[in-house]
Amino acid sequence: METDVPDQENRYDLSTRRKSFLGFTKDDLLKGLFGGNAFVSILVLSLITLFLFKEGAGFFGQYRDSLRLYRLSGLEYVETMRQEQDALSALNRYLNSIRTLQSEKLVDSGMDFMQVKAALRTDEDFYYAFEDLAMPLRDFVLEANDIVGTARDSYVEMLDLKAHRQNLLDAGRDAEAEALKITEVDLALFFNLVKSRESEFLEINRTLEAAIPQLLAEPPVYDDLELNAKMERFQELAAMFLEEVPDFESKVTGWDREQPIGMGNALTSFIFGRDWVTNSSIQDWYGIVPLFTGSLLVALIAMGFAVPLGVGAAIYVNQAASRMEQNIIKPYIEFISAIPSVVIGFFGIAVFGTLVREISNWEALSWISFFPLSERLNGFTAGGLLALMAIPTIFTLAEDALNNVPLSYKEASMAMGSTRLQTIVRIIVPTALSGIISAVLLGFGRVVGETMVVLLCAGNRIEIPRFTEGLGVVFEPVHTMTGIIAQELGEVVHGSIHYRALFVVGLVLFIISLLINYVAQKIVIKFQISRG
Amino acid sequence: MQTTQTPLPPEAESLFGRPTRAKRTERWVFMLIRAGTYFILACAAAIFIDIFYKGAQTVFQLEFPFINVEFLTDSPQTLHVFEYEGEKMEMKDSDFRVFKEETGASIVSQTYAYSGGGIWPCIVGTVLLVVGAMAIALTLGVLSAIFLSEYSKPGKILNAVRLSILNLAGVPSIVFGIFGMGMFVLAFGWNVSLIAGWFTLAFMVLPIVISASEESMRAIPQGLRDASLALGASKWTSIRTNVLPYAMPGILTSSIIGVARVAGETAPIMFTAAYALRDQLPWEGLEHWYDLFFQGVMALPYHIYVVSAKIPQNEYTSQMQYGTAFVFLFIVAGIALTSILLRIRMRRKYRW
Repeated sequence: METDVPDQENRYDLSTRRKSFLGFTKDDLLKGLFGGNAFVSILVLSLITLFLFKEGAGFFGQYRDSLRLYRLSGLEYVETMRQEQDALSALNRYLNSIRTLQSEKLVDSGMDFMQVKAALRTDEDFYYAFEDLAMPLRDFVLEANDIVGTARDSYVEMLDLKAHRQNLLDAGRDAEAEALKITEVDLALFFNLVKSRESEFLEINRTLEAAIPQLLAEPPVYDDLELNAKMERFQELAAMFLEEVPDFESKVTGWDREQPIGMGNALTSFIFGRDWVTNSSIQDWYGIVPLFTGSLLVALIAMGFAVPLGVGAAIYVNQAASRMEQNIIKPYIEFISAIPSVVIGFFGIAVFGTLVREISNWEALSWISFFPLSERLNGFTAGGLLALMAIPTIFTLAEDALNNVPLSYKEASMAMGSTRLQTIVRIIVPTALSGIISAVLLGFGRVVGETMVVLLCAGNRIEIPRFTEGLGVVFEPVHTMTGIIAQELGEVVHGSIHYRALFVVGLVLFIISLLINYVAQKIVIKFQISRG
Repeated sequence: MQTTQTPLPPEAESLFGRPTRAKRTERWVFMLIRAGTYFILACAAAIFIDIFYKGAQTVFQLEFPFINVEFLTDSPQTLHVFEYEGEKMEMKDSDFRVFKEETGASIVSQTYAYSGGGIWPCIVGTVLLVVGAMAIALTLGVLSAIFLSEYSKPGKILNAVRLSILNLAGVPSIVFGIFGMGMFVLAFGWNVSLIAGWFTLAFMVLPIVISASEESMRAIPQGLRDASLALGASKWTSIRTNVLPYAMPGILTSSIIGVARVAGETAPIMFTAAYALRDQLPWEGLEHWYDLFFQGVMALPYHIYVVSAKIPQNEYTSQMQYGTAFVFLFIVAGIALTSILLRIRMRRKYRW
């Protein structure tokens, strides 16, 4: 290493005082420079944390106000009625699907259009009669929703105008402020309008309760087994709907407008909320559960591949591979971590997703209940690719941990006559276990925080994966916490509730990753191998 | 630590007898994990081969000069696919207009956004982003690392600082993206611009640069510093002559890893610096010199995202997609390979 010495003439002149500037020597100034930089770095990094908290914190207040308005305006009240109407429409859709199937079957049997029409006519009365039953409820809900919705919108407008006026007054533009016309909106007035017609709603329910069983008493009978089975199922569903009607009713009549909504409600609605709905005309919901479970599902799929493969590879390379294999495999796997995530995501869209779907179409796999797949982009596609991104992390760290096991342990075990596998399973892996666990944790952290692969390949459907469906759940399209930020951040208004909601999601990610890192480090430190 | 087994001579074989059950299980298990290991390598190879094979068809050509210069030097354009006098033709937008004017025919064409032309602005944008972000990150990072490793007093505070920097290195890149968006783009009013991207990316790699540089400085034995100080050197002189030269390879590797990360990440620049399409190159049409910093650029990773998410997959679009992926992977993989090779060399060179 070359060393250049600047003050050549003073080199051996110990008596010369060091040059100083404003009383600081060069060393002091340099120390100040380095210290200043360190200070800036630490400041910046803590600023990130603070900024995330600051932007996220406003969310809960805004969300509480939004929920409060949702209740006060009566939208929540009407929502229950809408749920009943949705259940009824679902029934109608099911009936329609029976009808479509019937006509398809008739066409398949070789009839032409007119014949099909004639054949359908016999059953048509039933279909139409049921459809008509749904009408009054739909009209009622539409009207009620219109009233409270308009009330809510004009109320929000009034608030905006008031804020605007306050701004004008603050700026000293009193004349303009005076010119603003603000009509006071009384939410209670509109709500009572709807509430006073509650009896109408109850009446509609009475009609439904009377008419549906009457109609179901004479269901159409087909010549086809499948259709008959479907019709039977329809009858069951209709009966289930009738059983639910009293629940809806008691919810409507027992609903209390005065029940207060506090910060706690906003918090629980975010943490346990099962809906993430934005840009809705009725009410936006920011519940993190579908995103969180989506992230979790994808991460679990990825870890399902990455842990056995990564740890296995680490054991193989460290304990069983020849030196030449080691020298190739180690840099190779390290190199995999350099593939940019967006390229892997692109590969998923272009090749892997299609491959997954094609494999699911194989005859040999048709016994699996959830095959063939309709979506090529789903949790499995994303998880499989993320596994490849987690493997280098897991492999490198686990290999390091195995490498740190003192050789004497292994030698002692071998000297007792155990085979290499026995030594690995009983001695080496247990000794390195803390390192391996922290490797797995860090791999998990990497997978949870990965954005581009899930954004491109996970299918982006905001719904809680149906874990009750068994293994088929891994092939469902999901949305993730990272994906939702990447997808929606581009279109939000600065400072809006949606913008802040995304910041809270970012904050959750931030905390999760900090937690994982912290735990991983603690595990390593706590269970360090003593080399005594 | 490797125990490579030499084959036993026949007389020894008779001595040991048939392999025991434990031996047989061992063989099976080793074979299994070996297969798993090679499976990983094969999967990664499949990605490399797919992208290099299909991408090479766009980037290289059979005639002189063998490289598709147009793809590398043109900007992305809409691709027109149409039939003319019984022939199927593909043309990028600018050629298509000329062609239409020359022939004077009214041609109905199918269009594919982003699929014609080349990726020159993306390459330029990526280079600008990397250079600026690394300049910020290295200045701040290396100087901070010198302070933390050489000047600061060991104690609880230092440990806490170290731990939090280490923890921040694992924070997902999208979190830095949302921070950059909120802070630089909106709160500072820089809009989508190079400078917002620089700072976002720089802060993303800052923890990595600091902790890696500091680690390589702390790995140098205390004796070297003490010896230098004992000979009368000042603190800075001893750092300059006895710490930095030996830590340099480590700092270099960590900064190259930082470059690969900065070049490869998409999430932080999606909202802070990247445009999906921009006609002008960064240095064109500037009113003031500082406008250079306050403009968005196209970038390779974001371009890949746009062409793979926003346009359909078919034979016309896949050329652009694979070509971009090829160039991008080539650049990032090249940088990463350099750092890995450098580290292997370094490990051999310095062993205290």
